[in-house]
Amino acid sequence: MIEIYLYGKLRRFARDQDPTGYSVVHSIVQAGDSIQGVLKRLGIPMEEVGRNIFLNRQYSALTRRVKDGDRLAVFPDNMQLLYSWYFVKVGEDHEVKKDKS
Amino acid sequence: MSKILRVNMTDLTARYQDVPVKYKLMGARWLTSSMVSDEVEPTCHPLGPTNKLVFAPGIVTGTAAPTSARISVGSKSPLTGTIKESNAGTKFSPMLAKLGIKAVVVEGQPKEGMWYLLEVTKDGARLLPATDLAGKGAYATTNALIKRYGKVGVCCIGLAGEMKMAMAGVCFNDLSDRASRYSGRGGLGAVMGTKGLKAMVVDNKDGPGVSIANQELFGQGCKKLTEALQTHAITKPKGALNTYGTAVLINILNEAGGLPTRNFASGTFEGAPKIAGEAIFEGNKQRLGKELYNHACSPGCIIQCSNTWHNPDGSEQVSCQEYESVWAFGANCGIDDLDVTAELIRISNDLGVDTIESGGTIAVAMEGGLAKFGDGQKAIELMQEIGKGTPLGRILGQGAAFTGRALGLVRVPGVKGQNMPAYSPRAVKGIGVTYMTSTQGADHTIGYTIAPEILSVGGKADPLSPEGKAELSRNFQIATAFLDSTGYCVFIAFAILDIPKGFEGMVQSCAAVLGTNWTADDVTRIGKEILRKERAFNEAAGFTRADDRPPEFMRYEALPPHNKLWDIPNKALDSVWDF
Repeated sequence: MIEIYLYGKLRRFARDQDPTGYSVVHSIVQAGDSIQGVLKRLGIPMEEVGRNIFLNRQYSALTRRVKDGDRLAVFPDNMQLLYSWYFVKVGEDHEVKKDKS
Repeated sequence: MSKILRVNMTDLTARYQDVPVKYKLMGARWLTSSMVSDEVEPTCHPLGPTNKLVFAPGIVTGTAAPTSARISVGSKSPLTGTIKESNAGTKFSPMLAKLGIKAVVVEGQPKEGMWYLLEVTKDGARLLPATDLAGKGAYATTNALIKRYGKVGVCCIGLAGEMKMAMAGVCFNDLSDRASRYSGRGGLGAVMGTKGLKAMVVDNKDGPGVSIANQELFGQGCKKLTEALQTHAITKPKGALNTYGTAVLINILNEAGGLPTRNFASGTFEGAPKIAGEAIFEGNKQRLGKELYNHACSPGCIIQCSNTWHNPDGSEQVSCQEYESVWAFGANCGIDDLDVTAELIRISNDLGVDTIESGGTIAVAMEGGLAKFGDGQKAIELMQEIGKGTPLGRILGQGAAFTGRALGLVRVPGVKGQNMPAYSPRAVKGIGVTYMTSTQGADHTIGYTIAPEILSVGGKADPLSPEGKAELSRNFQIATAFLDSTGYCVFIAFAILDIPKGFEGMVQSCAAVLGTNWTADDVTRIGKEILRKERAFNEAAGFTRADDRPPEFMRYEALPPHNKLWDIPNKALDSVWDF
């Protein structure tokens, strides 16, 4: 099971959509799942997903693998306000990428 | 023909001088830091008669360039003891520029207890007694001056500046004449207080305007920059900044584990969603019965990120609840109520204090047992204490470092005496390098701009390595020093970073105003020159590399949820200055 915290317009995919609280969805993890895979299975349109994605509080690429017990947070494309050049983006093989956003 | 206005508070004269050749191309921070370096003795007492206060609009301020109405205020800081530049977006700045004024230099000191108002019009400048304004808050002062003069730019100090407190800022009016735009950091309001200058008004009616050397290039540059700002997801109309304001970062930094909470004891705050940009948007919507998008703080801003917060009856309580202010009084004090943060911001605006420093001070006071974390009512009472000028209020008014010392505390999250803004260095190490090595104490806006690959100022830095972090921070600080000199708001960085044509347009617009042929290389050259000047001032004032260090507790107290220490070696911090 993975916990997915959704913000902004993506809250509509959760039962509790209160913009002043936490909108959380739970999902089963399948073998080889990436962040993108989980989001697609939930029916979240990828064009609405911004670059501010955090897996276990780490700024992460969509291709990063997920596992049972992970905590994923996803912000929509109109909320990506992170000064991301100070953050290290963790990718699929935990390689380090400098995000250009 | 542009000129420098010299205001001598000792003999109460105001006179113009021609701009010396060496200052011709300069604006904003480049000019304030150069003039402070040239004219202020680095070892002077910041509150003494030989310190000076310099106001300067940017290179393109007063033209049609978008989002360019910033003003820089420079001096030796009473908070940090370093050189200081703090900028704000306000109508005051283009009004000065349109009168052909490149800088206002306030020097000398009048008799103790005397207060003055500086009036600037196309016909000249004069000092008038301001006894009627003394003792008034920034809101009442601004309102009185708007009532008296009409359409003017206003600059003033509140009670904190009058009491020469190290957290006092310099206040400017916004587009709707709210006393809400601040050159907040570093205690510059206290310097203005020592000069006996309560306020300034500027009226640019029938002024000459800003001359542009190359109109065609200027038009091209502005067009590129405008297109970048209007298409980028962060800066476009109804984009992130216009819809949610900067406070959208509350939830983001919370998810990153880098939102400093309860005086930097944690990187997550359970109440974050209650005080985030979404909650502000939703709260206003419920109370007003309609969606409210943000407004421009100053003329010509097309990003428009300033918000207002409304009472349950729909009336306006305060402008504005932005990320740093909401964080400082919210997460950092354990407070999760937007009505409380709004009231604390309103009190700050009226007293004339920096919200980052005052929020940090309240958090330190809570750490020291003067209130419990999360006690909003007590936080309000402590802020009111500052305005009353009681002994406790005087201590708090000196900022977090002074308050921490008074209370015998070790966990005081500052660098060079200035409290850290809303990014925890143990979780976000790159910004930590900037906090520690900046020429002005812990400051987030000082290394917040253009990516190295656009500027081509460095190699391919590995952001994980200490050396890589130092290199990134150096490049950010260099580029920001230039941007702080243009008059453009630092938020244009989001767009010009992703859209190279926007960056090109920004440089072209500056070159067009000045009649130069600047390219990206000049951005780097000028940025370095500014930083070297500021660093040299600090060294002459007695600062060494030993001052470019974190507060020690960050080396041995791990920050949850990442449970990370500050582990960047001192050598890496020192290497920021290898250029």
